Amino acid sequence: MNSIAVAALGSWTLDVPVVALFLTIAAIYFRGWRRLTKLLPRQFPTSCLLLFWLGLALLFIALESPLDAFSSLLLQAHMVQHLLLMMVVPPLLLLGQPMLPILRGLPRPFVKEGLGPFLRWPALRGFSGALVIPWVAWLLYNLTTVFWHLPALYELALRSPAWHNLEHACFFWTAMLFWWPVVQPWPSRSRWNRWGLIPYLLAADLVNTAIAGSFVFSGKVLYPSYAAAPLGGLSPLTDQMAAGVIMWVPGSIFYLVPATAIAMKLMNGSRTAWRFPTRIPSPKEQTPGLVHRFLRWRYARPAMQSVFFIAAAAVVIDGLYGPRMSPMNLAGVLPWIHWRGLVVLALLFAGNLFCMACPFMLPRTAARKLLRPKRRWPAFLRSKWLAAALFLIYLWAYEAFSLWDSPAITAWIVIGYFLAAFAIDGLFRGASFCKYVCPIGQFNFVHSLLSPLEIKVRSQKTCQSCKTFDCIRGNEKQRGCELYLFQPKKAGNFDCTFCLDCVQSCPHDNVALLPVIPAQTIISNPYRSSLGRLSNRPDLAALVLVVVFGAFANAFGMIQPFTDFVSRFSGVAARPIIVAALMAFGIVLIPALAVWGCTILSEPSSGPNQSLRAIASTFAFSLLPIGAAMWAAHLLYHLATGFLSILPVMERLLHSLLRLPVQPNWSLAAMPFLPHWLTPTQILLLDAGLLLTLYLIWRIARDRMNRSRPARVFLPWGSLALALYGIGIWILLEPMQMRGMMMN
Amino acid sequence: MCSKHRNCWGGLVALTLLAFVASPQLCADGGSVQFRQQTGSIVVTLFGSPSPLRTGPADLSVLLETAGGNQPVLDADVSLTLRQGETHLTAAATHAQATNKLLYAALPDLPTPGQWQVTVMVERAGTHSEVGGTINILPGPPAILFYWPYFLVVPVAIGLFALNQWLKKKEAGRRRTNAPPKHYHWS
Repeated sequence: MNSIAVAALGSWTLDVPVVALFLTIAAIYFRGWRRLTKLLPRQFPTSCLLLFWLGLALLFIALESPLDAFSSLLLQAHMVQHLLLMMVVPPLLLLGQPMLPILRGLPRPFVKEGLGPFLRWPALRGFSGALVIPWVAWLLYNLTTVFWHLPALYELALRSPAWHNLEHACFFWTAMLFWWPVVQPWPSRSRWNRWGLIPYLLAADLVNTAIAGSFVFSGKVLYPSYAAAPLGGLSPLTDQMAAGVIMWVPGSIFYLVPATAIAMKLMNGSRTAWRFPTRIPSPKEQTPGLVHRFLRWRYARPAMQSVFFIAAAAVVIDGLYGPRMSPMNLAGVLPWIHWRGLVVLALLFAGNLFCMACPFMLPRTAARKLLRPKRRWPAFLRSKWLAAALFLIYLWAYEAFSLWDSPAITAWIVIGYFLAAFAIDGLFRGASFCKYVCPIGQFNFVHSLLSPLEIKVRSQKTCQSCKTFDCIRGNEKQRGCELYLFQPKKAGNFDCTFCLDCVQSCPHDNVALLPVIPAQTIISNPYRSSLGRLSNRPDLAALVLVVVFGAFANAFGMIQPFTDFVSRFSGVAARPIIVAALMAFGIVLIPALAVWGCTILSEPSSGPNQSLRAIASTFAFSLLPIGAAMWAAHLLYHLATGFLSILPVMERLLHSLLRLPVQPNWSLAAMPFLPHWLTPTQILLLDAGLLLTLYLIWRIARDRMNRSRPARVFLPWGSLALALYGIGIWILLEPMQMRGMMMN
Repeated sequence: MCSKHRNCWGGLVALTLLAFVASPQLCADGGSVQFRQQTGSIVVTLFGSPSPLRTGPADLSVLLETAGGNQPVLDADVSLTLRQGETHLTAAATHAQATNKLLYAALPDLPTPGQWQVTVMVERAGTHSEVGGTINILPGPPAILFYWPYFLVVPVAIGLFALNQWLKKKEAGRRRTNAPPKHYHWS
């Protein structure tokens, strides 16, 4: 294949968020289809799944493939793109009968509480029903096609991405409506005679033929943009004629084939009656998934820990003996660019996976075997105050000593972590290090309240009949929970390290990693094993506030106003003091004042039995989503801009350690531009964080504080959330330092 | 109508999801032609996006073609210089930054509006050639307006939530109205 063909075929856009969205939709459909195919195998055969996925794949090709890249240069490419959007993708998606699979694939409470009222709203049902009346759908589709092919409008779409988006959205939407009566996806039913669909399709073909004919026979270039951009010696008029032929011939086939198929089906009189399923499989008949079987495997956690232990050892060795420049050193890249970003994304989209694979567990296990600790952790330290202070110190040290820029300090931090875990768990029983000390663990515990997965019991009934309580006491084969989380009373992920001890020790196989509604327990505030109620724990609330406001302070440290301010004070010695003052202001004083103010303002309307402490502790947790979103947006920036920087570092290691003939390509560590999807994704993350925070505040205000007038309780806290959102947006729109990159 | 088209709403919800994916991505590539000139054996076309060009991040893409056969040239080193008064910007144009791999794309940040002199410099097989032209840059919106659709998500979601709560309240009221009176006894 020549270089031009290779370049042309390599012109894929492949935006990460778009790929992720397509995969999410495919997964939601699959989840729903898998459930439905067990109940209604005749209505949802495998072909439905394949047709829907094929439709999605072709939609992806229309939007992200070289077709899109060449659509502004070649009218032919643009025409193929339009044909896919209007005549191929919509019928395929509808043949997949997507309504029920997607509804069944979405979280049930979201469908019931969120979508349910809209699905039952008579006005909206009537409106949507009217849109798929054949003559309405036909008119919308064909008028849209004619309208957007007028030269002035087509040119407008070519000049402006926004109008281009609108044009394609119109094509796609009206095509979905047009093909709806033709495909009539189950379980919708039409009251129109199917014979009417034959003139319906033939008339649409006539419109299509008229437009295609104007392309072929006009004798002049209709769209001047293509006249200015000829490619490969092809004359604009030839390009236009070819586009017309594509629209004419394949376009007509897409109308005539279904018209013929419908006519033949009607003449044969085939009609398959739908029967309700006679038998629904019970949950016990469903085999446990691969993930659950892996988690029950005795060596699951050691296997994951070993991988992370090797990575930690490599970071330490390279940090101490490798190059001093952080972008060239594994200790300057792996922990600060990749690990931090991936931990936050894992917490928000799965669960506390890092604690599950934590490498610091290995010295803890060794300490327990060697030293056999007997003491209990001191009573006065059995809270999260120490952990909150340690996390604050970490944030200060990170900025004051530029930890990210010093591989040697990074290596010593990892060593210090191993030593601390060994010493504390060698002295004290239980998982004292994890529960009361580890700042990484506290960060993970706090954010895992928002995770969609939780280690929990499958059936409370099974627990009620259990006499041995192996999940907390352990047995001869497996220890019980070291963090004193009794599974039947456990709610949410707080303090859960996903260690799998309970999963493996339960003799009834009743503990598993299961999906949950994120943040649900923040609203309901149940009694939690080993923790009590969150509203009675000001230490947990303080930890949450440090993590939330720390997200903004940590990101603020990367932007110009901060660096300008710090640079006014000369001398290396001054930096830690200035940073300490700013941190005390931003993470301690401001949050304390803000929370105090909101508590005072909301207290009069919060019901008679609410103390100030309980109000502050309760609402502090509702700010968690906006803080998590800020962490995610900030760390995603480093992950996206520096993702490839690991490659030259690995090449250097392979070259120097194994003498492999590879030369590091350091240009990968100096990425000269930001991915164009990054800022929109960051804003969307903050949007999601704000919306979830506002929802939590509203639900807490309504369900737990003041059912009749929740707005009075909501307003102060909602304003605080909006202020945080505004600060977050301002930070994200400022130019940021590309830490860990060579150009920094 | 509704009874005959039951679950049609479910379908529209599904389609909404699809349209949500599809709509933001349906964008143009390359932009509009700024100028097209021949230098030696190469024809240089400069594309600019957004159209019209505005201050802020811009996509300036270069297409190189052989003068005789109009074949795309892929093995050159291309850079752009942009001048306006004392201001001087240089940007490397590469295939890596282009979606369409036949183009060489540069992504400069244009700081001020007005007329800018653009020079496209092409190095190929040891020969240097360059073409120049003028592009007009209009004032751009501030960043916060540039990303306005993404900020719209919040008020739209809040509006939908308010509507959801209103519908639930209405349904609850309807259920109360339709419920049998308390003194009613089934016989």
